[in-house]
Amino acid sequence: MRFEFRKFAFGLGVVIVLGIALVAVLAPWITPADPFAQNLEARMIPPIWMEGGRAENILGSDQLGRDYFSRLIYGARISMLIGTLVVICSGAIGITLGVVGGFFGGRVDAVVMFIITCRLSIPLILVALTVVSFVGSSLTVVVFTLGLLLWERFAVVARTTTMQVRTLDYISAAWAAGCSLPHILLREVLPNIVHHLIVVATLEMALAILLEAALSFLGLGVPPPLPSWGLMIAEAKDYMYFSPWVIMVPGVALFVLVLGINLLGDGLRDRLGAARDA
Amino acid sequence: MTVAIEVRGATKTFRQSTGVFGTDRMIRAVDGVSFAVEAGSCLGIVGESGCGKSTLARLILGLLPVSSGEILVEGQSLADMDRKSRARLIQPVFQDPFSSLNPRRRIRDIVAMPLQAQGIATRERASRVEEMLVRVGLPGAIADRLPAQLSGGQRQRVAIARALVLRPRIVVCDEPTSALDVSVQAQILNLLDELRRDLGLTYVFISHNLAVVEHISDRVAVMYLGRMVEQAGTDDLFAAPTHPYTKALLASVLTPEPGLGIPDVGLGDSYPDPANVPPGCRFHPRCPIAEARCAVETPQPRDLNGHQIECLLA
Repeated sequence: MRFEFRKFAFGLGVVIVLGIALVAVLAPWITPADPFAQNLEARMIPPIWMEGGRAENILGSDQLGRDYFSRLIYGARISMLIGTLVVICSGAIGITLGVVGGFFGGRVDAVVMFIITCRLSIPLILVALTVVSFVGSSLTVVVFTLGLLLWERFAVVARTTTMQVRTLDYISAAWAAGCSLPHILLREVLPNIVHHLIVVATLEMALAILLEAALSFLGLGVPPPLPSWGLMIAEAKDYMYFSPWVIMVPGVALFVLVLGINLLGDGLRDRLGAARDA
Repeated sequence: MTVAIEVRGATKTFRQSTGVFGTDRMIRAVDGVSFAVEAGSCLGIVGESGCGKSTLARLILGLLPVSSGEILVEGQSLADMDRKSRARLIQPVFQDPFSSLNPRRRIRDIVAMPLQAQGIATRERASRVEEMLVRVGLPGAIADRLPAQLSGGQRQRVAIARALVLRPRIVVCDEPTSALDVSVQAQILNLLDELRRDLGLTYVFISHNLAVVEHISDRVAVMYLGRMVEQAGTDDLFAAPTHPYTKALLASVLTPEPGLGIPDVGLGDSYPDPANVPPGCRFHPRCPIAEARCAVETPQPRDLNGHQIECLLA
C-alpha cells in the first residue's frame, strides 16, 4: 500500500515537472495572447469559472489587462530557466570542491571544509539581496548570485560520497593500472556518486526557484515586465483583498512546480538507491 | 636464479591521531621486511588479520610509499618508476571482486582500462580484451554486461583479466579467493596457477588460508606483527615448521573430523595491538616456549636448515 503511494508520488512528480518544462519550451506556440500586451479596457477580469469571467482570458487578466494565462506560461519559462542554470552553476562549483576534498583528504580536504563552513556562515537571502541591489537586477545577475551561493549541499554530498568510494578496490585497481587522475575522478569516482547528486540537484532547483520568486517579490529579482511568478505575486498583493485569484494563480503554480520537483527528487532517490543494491 | 622482485628492509609507518590532547601514535604496519621472489615462482605470504599482509601488498604495488627500505623490481627501484611503467610490470588481483570492479562500467571497459591508461589504440584494445576474456575462461558475450550481472567467480575472472591484459611480469594477489564460494575457490586457484605457467608470471600471493597457500606457492613467508618470522620452501615449511608461531598456525587449521572440536594451539591471548609492539621478540607474550630473555633480546633473521627464521630458541 505504502509502496503504491510512493510510485504514484514519483509518477505525479514526473508528470508535473515534464509538463511544466514542456509548457515552458512551447510557450510561444501555446499562449493564447501576448503576455506583454496591455489592454486597459479589460483589467482585472476574473478567471473563466468565476462570475464575470470570459473565454478570451481563461485565468483572467491582471491590473494592466494582460492575459494572466499567457503570463503564467511565460513565467514557467523564467522559473525553469533559473532553476536549471542555477543548478548547473552551483553543481559545477560544489561537485568539483566536494570530489577534490573527499578524494585527496588531509590538507586539501581541510581547505575544502573551511570553504564550505565559510559559505554556510553566510546568510543566503541577505547576501543575495545585497548583491542584487548593488549590481542591479537582471536574469543573469540572479542566476549567478544564486549559482555562486547554492553549491554547499552539492559540496557536502559529493565530499562524503567520494570519501566512501575512494577506499574501494576499483579505485586502487585504476591507480595500479596507471590511470591518470582526471580519468580516475571522472570515470571511476563520478559515475558512482552521481545518483546522490541528482537528488541534491532536484532539491537545489526547487530552492533556486523559490529564492528567485522571493527576490522578485521583493523587487530584486527579474525586472518587470518579465512575467516571473514571484513578480506576479508581488504585483498581485495590492489587489488580493478584492480579487484574491490574482495572487492565488501564480502562488498555486509555484507550489505545484516545487512540489513536483521534490516528489521527483524523492522518487529518484528511492529508485537509484534500489538500483544500486540490486 | 633471476630475481623478479626484491624487498629490502621495507618499513611502513602510519600515524594514528589520538585526539586533541594525545600525542600521535606511530604504527609500524610493516617493519623491516626483506625477501626475494624468483622469476616465475610464487611466494605465499600468510599471517593473521592485522599482521601487515595487505599493507605489504600495497607497498609492492606502489599504492603506498615505503617509509624506509626499498623495493626492487627486476633490479629497478620501484620508487624511481612512474606509475605507467610500474603498471606494465606489476598488477594486482584484489580480494573482493564486488568492490574491485567499478559497478558503473561494462566488463569490456573494465578490462580495457589498463590498456587505455597506456594510450593503446581503441581497435587493438578491443582485440586484446577479447583475447584476455577467452584466456580467463569467460564467454565473449559477457563483455557488454555490468559487474552486477556476473557471479562472484566470473567477477574474479574479470579482475584477473584486467590484471593480465597488460602482460605484466608480476601479479600481487591479495586474498584472491577468500571472498568466493568454496567450490569456486578451486577453479580460480587453478586458473591462476595455469596462467602463471603459461605466461611465465611471478606471483606474490597473500592469504590467511594455509591450504590455499600450500597449493599454489613455491615458497612461503609467515608474517607476524609486521615482520617475517619464517620463510622456507612450501614443502619444507609445511613438513617441518620451525618457528613456534608457524607451528601454532599450522596446528590451528581445522580438521574435517567433527569430533575433534576446535584445536587448542596454545596461543592464549588475542592478537596484540600493532601500535604497542612487545619488547624483545614481538611474539614472546603468546609464545608457548618463551623464556625470560625473549622479552629482552630482539631476534635477528638467521638461517636454519633452509628456513630463514627470527627466533632466539628454535
